[in-house]
Amino acid sequence: MKFGYTIIYVADVPNTVAFYETAFGLKRRFIHESDLYAEMETGGTALAFAGNEAAEMNGLAILPNDPASPAAGWEICFVTDDVQGAFERAVSKGCSPVSNPSEKPWGQTVSYVRDMNGCIVEIASPIVQSS
Amino acid sequence: MPDGRCDIILRYNIHGSDAPIPVITGPATQAYTVEYDVGDSWLGIRLRPDNGRALWQSRIAQAADTVLRGQDALSLMPGLAALKGGQMTAANLANAVEITMTLNLDHRLIRALDVLHASGGRMRIEKLARFAGCTSRHLNRVFRSNIGLTAKTYAQLVQFNRTLRLIQQEHLPITGAAFEGGYADHAHLTRAFRRFGGFTPSDPPNELSLPVLFS
Repeated sequence: MKFGYTIIYVADVPNTVAFYETAFGLKRRFIHESDLYAEMETGGTALAFAGNEAAEMNGLAILPNDPASPAAGWEICFVTDDVQGAFERAVSKGCSPVSNPSEKPWGQTVSYVRDMNGCIVEIASPIVQSS
Repeated sequence: MPDGRCDIILRYNIHGSDAPIPVITGPATQAYTVEYDVGDSWLGIRLRPDNGRALWQSRIAQAADTVLRGQDALSLMPGLAALKGGQMTAANLANAVEITMTLNLDHRLIRALDVLHASGGRMRIEKLARFAGCTSRHLNRVFRSNIGLTAKTYAQLVQFNRTLRLIQQEHLPITGAAFEGGYADHAHLTRAFRRFGGFTPSDPPNELSLPVLFS
């Protein structure tokens, strides 16, 4: 078994792709012509977005993400050496700040924002393995 | 700032006698200011919210925002009187608390508290009861008889404290903090801040001591 995709159901797939490009500096891999599915260039494990309509088409029932409600109980985490810069960029491009960058006891710098759909995105520094 | 929990405090006054003044509080829903002399010190334990009953017994239902000092505190918790002079250490206080209080924890309440805190106090009581595995009527009864507050009041305290933290520690603008905290609008936020904190969101006191939850 291999972890292949994280798929986030959203109201507007193309807008979310554009948002992730400007707010987090990711690149799009493709947007399906239906505008109901897209993948970002995130290496071997794809971060993907699917339209909320696709959930019903797949036979699923979901609670759509909503910036005005508490976030769903999961998050995605982007890792960068410049947490402060990435955090400021995300907020200036429309993310809502939740937790400013701060250093954790284990030496990692960690911050949290919510994206345009209300999903939690963590922006953190890499964990440095002590040798 | 109030967070719905009870405190057991020993207060040392620099001008007073050697014996500290014991202070026991009920679950707080309102802010209070403490007058003190430079050099005063405190030693205290803040209980988990679900331990209110173990301290107050059946009086917990009427204990909200109550403060017992001196003899009144000692009659509620006689074990405090045994701590004299050099024995007044945090470890001894914790020990006295442990001996005095029989914890009879309702696991559904603990689960409900964990979920409620995780949601920033924004989960409706009906839904919370589903997570806890009981009816909302039962959950309310368990909140009142163990914490001394209704589930709704406790939820509003969690929401208030998280939003206050967003403003004070994360320096979120007030509108952003109101939205993330789950307040419908500025007026809603202001009402909550007046009720629980005694101040408006834009004009917090200078030296606020924020309660730490479950550290």
